[in-house]
Amino acid sequence: MRFRPLLLVILVLSLQAMGCAKKNLVVLIPDPDGSVGRITVSNKAGRVEIDTPYQATRLADKDTVPGTPFAMEKKEVTSTFSHALRIQPTPPVHFILYFETGSENLVPESRELLPTILDAVKERKSVSISVIGHADTAGNREYNLGLSRRRAQAITRILLEKGIDQDRIDTTSHGEENLLIKTEDNVVEPKNRRVEVIVR
Amino acid sequence: MKVTFTLVLSTIIFLGALTICHAEAKPVGIVKSLENSASIKRKEDVLTAKTGMAVWMGDEISTGPMGSIGIIFIDDTVLSMGPKSRFIISELLFDPVEGKLSFVGKIIRGTIVFLSGQTARLAPDSVRLETPAGMVGVRGTHVLVKVEE
Repeated sequence: MRFRPLLLVILVLSLQAMGCAKKNLVVLIPDPDGSVGRITVSNKAGRVEIDTPYQATRLADKDTVPGTPFAMEKKEVTSTFSHALRIQPTPPVHFILYFETGSENLVPESRELLPTILDAVKERKSVSISVIGHADTAGNREYNLGLSRRRAQAITRILLEKGIDQDRIDTTSHGEENLLIKTEDNVVEPKNRRVEVIVR
Repeated sequence: MKVTFTLVLSTIIFLGALTICHAEAKPVGIVKSLENSASIKRKEDVLTAKTGMAVWMGDEISTGPMGSIGIIFIDDTVLSMGPKSRFIISELLFDPVEGKLSFVGKIIRGTIVFLSGQTARLAPDSVRLETPAGMVGVRGTHVLVKVEE
């Protein structure tokens, strides 16, 4: 009677030691908005590319070429990954706010967006909000950076006034590195002069 | 007088160093959804995962036998894990101003759903998931990976 647990342990350990190879399965599925991306799956032995949704590849181990991509039934994908898919958070939502030239005041259309932002925070029971100032590539870089930072801070002040917890808000400035509209250096582009609010 | 001056100076330098250290180590994501048990191993500490908790680069996230977790990262990447899964945030740099963009994750085991965010859009070759049998290069996309044990 006393020896049984030991036998069980040995049996379980042996099974594990037999080294069932760690098979990997990789599947590409559409983004929530319907678009489809691209993946490459590779190891020392070879590489496959997948850019069609519900295509999958199996890898036996790191020394074996990744398997030829095959179509996987949506049902099977959903069932294999059911828990991970169920717990998947809603992706963050971005809002873009514009300002009157050279000022920290929102243009009317952007002011009207504020209630929608607050609704998003409430709906998602948001745990984290980013407020990011952006600039275009025109003019003095330092000035642009400073203005974008001040504008971001102005929006954060509004959110705080509306009762959002300071700990939930992260305020930064990306300067001209994350352009909405790609332009050459020194190009005035009002659409780039924005504050982005990300609600998670 | 000299001792006081030295003390004050040392304190300022020490506090300054602390500030710098603190500024370097920033959270890279947040736990957004959670079911049953999950834990985060950070250096030598093991923390119980909770909604709203920050995650850091280097964190090893594990879910229990009935656990599942959803995490949103600073670049909008959405990661979710099913039960008995383990994922390490090997590298996550998201600083478009400095041109530092990368997302490298290591899947040890389990079921992972990875919805890539801005890093994949801004720097398509900089997002990858390492698995025991290979590597997944993620170029703006929704990827599901299962690693059997």
